Amino acid sequence: MQMSPVPRSTIDALFPRVAEIVADALARPREEVRLDSRLVADLGAESIDFLDIVFRLEQEFEVRIPRGQILESARGDLSEEEFQRDGVLTELGRTRLQAVLDEVPESAFAAPLSVDDIPLLFTVETLCKVLAGAEQQPPSE
Amino acid sequence: MSGRRTRVLVTGIGLVTPLGADAPSSWAAVCAGRSGIGPIRRFDASGFPVRIGAHAPDVEAAPLAPRARKYAARQHVFAAVAAAEALRDARVVPGSADTERWGCVVGSGMLGVEFAELAALQRRAAPAGVLEVERLEPTADPVAFARHQSIGGLALLVQQFGIRGPVSAVHTACASGGQAIGAALRLIRRGAADRVLAGGFDSMLTPVGLAGFCLLGALSPDNDEPARASRPFDRTRNGFVLGEGAGFLVLESAPAAAARGARAYAELAGAGDALSSYRITDPHPDGNGPIQAMRRALADADIAPEAVDYINAHGTSTVMNDRSEAAAIRAVFGSHCERLLVSSTKSLMGHLIAAAGAVEAALCALALRYGVAPVNANLTTRDPECDVPLVVGASQRRPLQVALSNSFGFGGANNAVVLRRAPDEEPGG
Repeated sequence: MQMSPVPRSTIDALFPRVAEIVADALARPREEVRLDSRLVADLGAESIDFLDIVFRLEQEFEVRIPRGQILESARGDLSEEEFQRDGVLTELGRTRLQAVLDEVPESAFAAPLSVDDIPLLFTVETLCKVLAGAEQQPPSE
Repeated sequence: MSGRRTRVLVTGIGLVTPLGADAPSSWAAVCAGRSGIGPIRRFDASGFPVRIGAHAPDVEAAPLAPRARKYAARQHVFAAVAAAEALRDARVVPGSADTERWGCVVGSGMLGVEFAELAALQRRAAPAGVLEVERLEPTADPVAFARHQSIGGLALLVQQFGIRGPVSAVHTACASGGQAIGAALRLIRRGAADRVLAGGFDSMLTPVGLAGFCLLGALSPDNDEPARASRPFDRTRNGFVLGEGAGFLVLESAPAAAARGARAYAELAGAGDALSSYRITDPHPDGNGPIQAMRRALADADIAPEAVDYINAHGTSTVMNDRSEAAAIRAVFGSHCERLLVSSTKSLMGHLIAAAGAVEAALCALALRYGVAPVNANLTTRDPECDVPLVVGASQRRPLQVALSNSFGFGGANNAVVLRRAPDEEPGG
């Protein structure tokens, strides 16, 4: 999957159904879920909720979203060593990640940024982008 | 020894049973001898040889935080509702200052995965009948996995009620609920907790659960007379009726209860466990296992067999259980048997499996408090091989001082708990 720029119109088209799924998975009122809502800080997601949301997106949109996709896209052709050391992103790693997650405010990328904390950056728009780049999968049933 | 040991009181009760959505309505139905058994209505059982069961009411998951509800299977919702009622009834909740002095012990069910989810997994990940691993991740619901862990219900309860002391989940099939109550008693006695939310929950009224018990030939096939189908100790009984629900008790050390002026339904005086080590599903015909469980519970309570007034029998309404249990009661109580009152409330609400022991311990506490021995419904002609005095016809008003509840499980786990009426002069007694 490429994390190439996704047209605004695509994001806007995906957002209503994504927001519905996120609201349902996190038991939040639909109107609380905005494009720039952070899944953890604003909507209270915990780790299993990410798995749940991705599962629901896959079912709803009939796509395949490999786990760990965002990290892989950010790392690109960098070696693991070049991307992160001891669980902390390198300067280059942070720059790459920021380019991939261009919907996230720059201040969120302050060093040091640990790999484990990357999901804290994700917003609802991040989900829309991942979805837009995901591979279509024939219905499984 | 018992003089110096911490006494443990039952200060709150919550029930969700086929007889009602709370403790007062369930108890009222027990007193009135009203049956909670009817046609299975939550799925199409028309192809099964057994089409009757004891459904609990469809209660709302209101006591659980909205975020937690996706992790709650049907039996967990029963548990949350019953636990919330027990805490409300006891007028005490874990607070910031004492949360580590609260424990939680549950008897949890043996089969959590719902048939619809198994079927969906089969369709998606094994369309040709063989599991295709690469299809598994994209089609398996991670929340369903979390929901069906046997720790699931316990995790929801401790999170919801903010319990941070010792917790555990017991699973010994139909003995689970009773053993959970006994484990909670020991936690308080040894000073590990002042208060324990203890109970059991289960819902096996599903296609998989029903199929399993049908295969074992354990269920009554009396589809045309559901209210009469469960008739423990009757000569014509032909199996149990599958039920569902939850029961919770707030157990509290006597000093902790006294400090807040709490009333008590009863004292939880003792508990005993014993393994039959005999066969997987057959009870020992001589009552081996149940005999030791009852004797240990009485010794633990420091109560003589002659002091027992009422026994809430495991009484499943299967030939093997009832005869084995009656033999065990005879062996333990000898000539005192004639002065006992024995009944199985499964005659009204069916068998709640992992919840049964907790619900029935709660019914014993209510029986002591209100002086009512519940009826053993549907008894027309007692099986001559079950020589114990049963509460026939209707529930009986009678002052009761000591009650014992039996719970026996597949695999050979046997449990008895003993409760004593709280003296009237005691806090709120």
